[in-house]
Amino acid sequence: MLVFILRRLLLIVPMALLVVTLTWALIRVAPGTFYDSEKKLPPAIEQNIRTKYGLDKPWYTQYWLMISNVAVGDFGDSLKYIGQSVNEIIWRHLPYSATIGVLAYLLALIIGLSAGIIAALKQNSRFDYGAMAAAMLGLSVPNFVLGPILVLVFALGLYILPPARWGGISGLVLPVITLAAIYAAYIARLTRAGMLEVMRSDYIRTARAKGLDEKTVLLKHGLRGGIIPVVSYTGPALAGLLAGTVVVEKVFAIPGLGNIFIQSVLNRDEPLTLGIVAFLSILVMVFNLIVDISYGFLDPRIRYE
Amino acid sequence: MVQETTVVKGTSLWRDAWRRLLKNKLAVFGMIVLAVMLVLVTVGPIILRWLTGVTPDYIPADGNLIKSFPPSLEHPMGTDEQGRDLFARVLQGGRISLTVGVITTIVALFVGVSYGAIAGYLGGKIDNVMMRIVDMLYAIPYILIVIVLLSVFGGPNTQALIAALPAVLGALIVGVVGVLVAVNIFRRIFGEGLSLSIRDTLLRAGFGLLETAIVVGLIVLTAYAISATGFGSSAGAKYANVVSLGMSQIFLLFFALGLVSWLTMARVVRGQILSLKNQEFVLAAKATGVSTFGIIFRHLVPNALGPVIVYATLTVPSVMLSEAFLSYLGLGVQAPYASWGSLAADGVKNIAIFPWQLIFPGVTMALTLFSLNFLGDGLRDALDPQTRKF
Amino acid sequence: MKATRFTTFSLALFITLSLLLSGCTSSAKNQYFGQTVAPSENVFRYITGSEPESLDPAIPNGQPEARILMALYDGLIEYHPVTMEPIPAVAESWEVKEGGTEYIFHLRKNAKFSNGDPITANDFVYTIRRGFRPELASRNASLGYYIKYSEAYNSGFAFAKGTDGKFLLKKDFVDMVEASTPQEATPAGDSDFHKFLDEPERLTVPTSDKDLLKLTDSDPKLKTALQGRELVPVRAEDIGVEAVDDYTFRIKLYQPAPYFMGLLGHQFFRVVDQKVVEKFGDRWSRPENIVTSGSFKVLEHLPYDKLVVVKDLNNWDAANVKLDQIEFYPLDEQTTMMNLYKSGRIDAIYNHTVPAPWFDQVSQYKDEYLLSPENASEFYVINVKKPPMDNQKVREAFALAVDRDAFEKLRRTYKPLVDFVPFGIYPKYEEARDKIYTQELKKQGSSLDEWKARKFNPEKARKLMTEAGFPVQQSGSGWSCPSFPVESVSITYNTSESNKSTAEFAQAQWKQNLGITVPIKNMEFKTFLPLLNKVDYEGFGRRGWVGDYMDPYTFLYLFYSPNNTGATGWWDPKYDRMLDEANNTIDEQERYEKLAAAELYMMQKQIVIPLGVPGTSWLKKPYVKGLYPNPGTLHPWKFVYIERDSAKWDKNVDNLMSEKNPVVEEQVSAIMRTQEEFVKSKQGETKSAPVE
Repeated sequence: MLVFILRRLLLIVPMALLVVTLTWALIRVAPGTFYDSEKKLPPAIEQNIRTKYGLDKPWYTQYWLMISNVAVGDFGDSLKYIGQSVNEIIWRHLPYSATIGVLAYLLALIIGLSAGIIAALKQNSRFDYGAMAAAMLGLSVPNFVLGPILVLVFALGLYILPPARWGGISGLVLPVITLAAIYAAYIARLTRAGMLEVMRSDYIRTARAKGLDEKTVLLKHGLRGGIIPVVSYTGPALAGLLAGTVVVEKVFAIPGLGNIFIQSVLNRDEPLTLGIVAFLSILVMVFNLIVDISYGFLDPRIRYE
Repeated sequence: MVQETTVVKGTSLWRDAWRRLLKNKLAVFGMIVLAVMLVLVTVGPIILRWLTGVTPDYIPADGNLIKSFPPSLEHPMGTDEQGRDLFARVLQGGRISLTVGVITTIVALFVGVSYGAIAGYLGGKIDNVMMRIVDMLYAIPYILIVIVLLSVFGGPNTQALIAALPAVLGALIVGVVGVLVAVNIFRRIFGEGLSLSIRDTLLRAGFGLLETAIVVGLIVLTAYAISATGFGSSAGAKYANVVSLGMSQIFLLFFALGLVSWLTMARVVRGQILSLKNQEFVLAAKATGVSTFGIIFRHLVPNALGPVIVYATLTVPSVMLSEAFLSYLGLGVQAPYASWGSLAADGVKNIAIFPWQLIFPGVTMALTLFSLNFLGDGLRDALDPQTRKF
Repeated sequence: MKATRFTTFSLALFITLSLLLSGCTSSAKNQYFGQTVAPSENVFRYITGSEPESLDPAIPNGQPEARILMALYDGLIEYHPVTMEPIPAVAESWEVKEGGTEYIFHLRKNAKFSNGDPITANDFVYTIRRGFRPELASRNASLGYYIKYSEAYNSGFAFAKGTDGKFLLKKDFVDMVEASTPQEATPAGDSDFHKFLDEPERLTVPTSDKDLLKLTDSDPKLKTALQGRELVPVRAEDIGVEAVDDYTFRIKLYQPAPYFMGLLGHQFFRVVDQKVVEKFGDRWSRPENIVTSGSFKVLEHLPYDKLVVVKDLNNWDAANVKLDQIEFYPLDEQTTMMNLYKSGRIDAIYNHTVPAPWFDQVSQYKDEYLLSPENASEFYVINVKKPPMDNQKVREAFALAVDRDAFEKLRRTYKPLVDFVPFGIYPKYEEARDKIYTQELKKQGSSLDEWKARKFNPEKARKLMTEAGFPVQQSGSGWSCPSFPVESVSITYNTSESNKSTAEFAQAQWKQNLGITVPIKNMEFKTFLPLLNKVDYEGFGRRGWVGDYMDPYTFLYLFYSPNNTGATGWWDPKYDRMLDEANNTIDEQERYEKLAAAELYMMQKQIVIPLGVPGTSWLKKPYVKGLYPNPGTLHPWKFVYIERDSAKWDKNVDNLMSEKNPVVEEQVSAIMRTQEEFVKSKQGETKSAPVE
């Protein structure tokens, strides 16, 4: 097990560098540069900019400079936001998205798991249908629709919550609910499906036959197997949430990483994009590693060679 | 052998499933709504145009009509700010949204399930490499991929292509049905017979692959033929060379969305397979000499179908939303056409002033997704191999 | 059974939701829009648009930054809050000499940076030289290229010096328009540098071998002239800026640019502190290092959240700065802004922020909704290099087939435009334009009325299209033009709600009036820009142009020089010459007439399809005073204040621009006094001179 974890951890850095390389290539292939604007630049000014940022060097030199710096964790300065380093920007904005993301995921877990479990246990009951309909509503109402509706009701209709901007707990309520809705719906449905699958399996029957009480059967045996789909889903979802979600950040004007990431791509702000991509890929890999480890705990039949 | 086949025919899994599905009222309801929706979006705009002359991109010449009117007899869903009929736009938007949803989900199903199942069952180094590739694909910003795809391959998105969408959609449906039929034939031929030797196994696997290839080839040909007739129409003729020069934005969109949609599916399936592969029935199959291919696709995948179908129904809405987001960035569907997602995104901005701009596309989309979900749940229950035991 | 119950349930959900929505839409009409409560502190909360790229005034070139930098830095002049004409800032007075090529500024002696350092003429010399440093790579540098040798320095060019010590002169190699006024006699005791600047302009050539070779290959005369000459790189010290003494600053232009004064309000020319800039390099503008020169200084900067600036007590005019603090919120989601405004959490927002659908509702609040013409125009550029758009008749047909009155109905805040320079901004220019157009068009057998009818003329459009070889035929109730190669045109635009609706509108218009369905192509901004700037698009490209300064030339300049930024592929030396001649004219009205002639010349080539003049379209709370919908939406913040007495709030204001506010007027006239007195004393000198 330890060897397995170590091997995976060691893989993370080269993998992240590979992702950075691919992204770098994509940025270079994409049309447009960070300095393009509606006002066409005189050739001399364009030349000045290219010289300043080393864009006049051959591509392999530029790549080598980039990758050797990235390998030691130095992404350099943003091209768009002069005088701000990429690391600084990431660490400055991560807390915003992480706060909202973690809170939303916790909320989604609480709602989704309980709704999913109860729905599975009382399959085809009124609760089951109600919960699944609510989940489906959560899924089919996109967050760019849900957010504004919540704002309209709670901020502009009732004037009890701020419509946007970071600040205070009251400012967190609407974005967290907006973000959580879709995840809660996902989790509820995946849990229900997973539980239904497990509750019919042989080992649950065995457990029941052993005379264990229903609660133990459910929580100790059923749940562990039943939430495997949820766990598979959680890895990338949580990584994505930590790194921010553009729509909610834009609707609620939250200075999170997600919006900055999209903007950096749209601005062709190469160092910033690469920095966030590297960060995101490490995050994804770490979370997926945790997920893979937890498979072993959740289901003793899963083994790693 | 021959005798056995006839027996299997009698209790075919698919026939059973179909029977069970028909018993599920919600699933039938979902199926009907979906069918109606498909017909509506496919022929609706044509009929509407024929009856009233209204097209989704018609902006009234009279400046006083360039305004968002509430629903009326003339415009059952009202008009948007440019005075365009919302009903026509919702119907036309459905073409794009449904196509995007269906195509990417099919990609997710086929690629994601087989990828995840193979990785999960084989385990070890292969699993490790396969799943690390998935991790990497997660981390690469997909808008960047879309931007590059569009700039490298992007040609103008034209009316003819939009007109061809229902044809493509139809072809796909034909294709999916074809695959189901083919699988059925496959099962009939090979039945539940036990494999005897490696040579035999390989032969069967090869046969299966060949057959799948033929079916896929047929789908592609049908799609191509139907879409080509679409381009052959008088309006579309001019675009033929444009189309051959560069792929249309909307097809690139399918490609780009398909590229990422299978990732989570692969992870979900892999997780499921990991927990299934040490169960008794797999051991039994192994002991009786069933091939790896057979174990994965005959024994493991059907047992993991529950979460797979549920996840597939979850993919449809999320893909539609991704499309709306890409459209918002200018990377999705081209004006003057819209999708349900982009109509809802436009509508929500004016929610306090022109609520009908959100309500109609939103409700249509929600209704479709609901039905899809009912159908998905029904399928899940119907296909569950274990329900047979009860 | 279950199915029915379930359907009822989901239907109920929808109905509740719909009711909730419609319930919120109907609200009683109030005097003001949403929550209107003046903030308890003297803090002004403003939405600026996207996150500023930098707080270094030389770097950013966007509007959001311009508004912020105006608070943080003072320049030689400031914009008048209503008219945007130059009013004194660090320069308390100025004079223009030598036929408009020389500007002398008399600086006030009490101007200070936020760290208490005095601001002198040397700081301005440093600021401007720094702006042109090639290593800084400022994208704004071209704004100041009128300053003598600044372009050469910025481009890394060199003078060509002969063995005899003489330099090659520009006039010997370039066809130049002669200035209409002679050089004034150089006063005695003049500095060597000034003498150097007064000499005829030297020729400058590229220093890199490749560029030089390219130039000499195309110009054999230059090639021989350059033989054996030493190339002396142009240095920062050669640029036409000079500190005559600590409080006198001089700028020398290479040719007259009558709008140059107005340009000096741009952030690029606003003063920075040399010590700080050199100490911290490109990190000097971070909140912990920054030293500013304006009415406000940085208190806190949380990127993407807020920028808080507080009144700077070191500022020369601190006594008249009324706000204690401004909070700038970087935000560009229109709905979010409207929500914040409606809930009373912000006091004003920047221009073009009221979404078109909201217009009917919001425009009822006349005291808050500000709509006046902007120093900008919206148009489609045409790639004139690719067929069929290389045919002028085709271009004219497309231009005539757009109903601009319907466009106004669609965009609400736009006024239809058939010319290139917007109207409602330059009344004197419009007067000149009407005069010249009448004259010129008469000569051509047309009339001004006919010209103005270009707003929409579908019959003529179809006629022209047919003449161009693409016959337009009646088909059913509409038209068709089967021979037109639609596959080689498109309407290309960068994604935005308003660009999309304009493109859809144009497409529908052309479809209805010409029977031509031009495909629409929208792209993400950075994909679109190279297409536009390299003139690689097909057919039509969406453009909007916001004036950099208050003069028609800021628009006409777009097509000046072979390497122009007009993005149409069109260039005509005759047009350049017409503009040069106009700028060499001292008399204002005469100059405008010459500019108008150039505009007509360009417009008749139909390289663009003008659509409309945008309106400013933004909101401010009625208690905010001193904030005007001026043509550039640039607000000198020291005039802004919050009125606590609700009786004095804006009430039933028709046009805020003509509304008299004694507080602001007095403040402006106090600032203007120094310049007025200076002008008076100068007039006194000239009057008394003959008596002496």
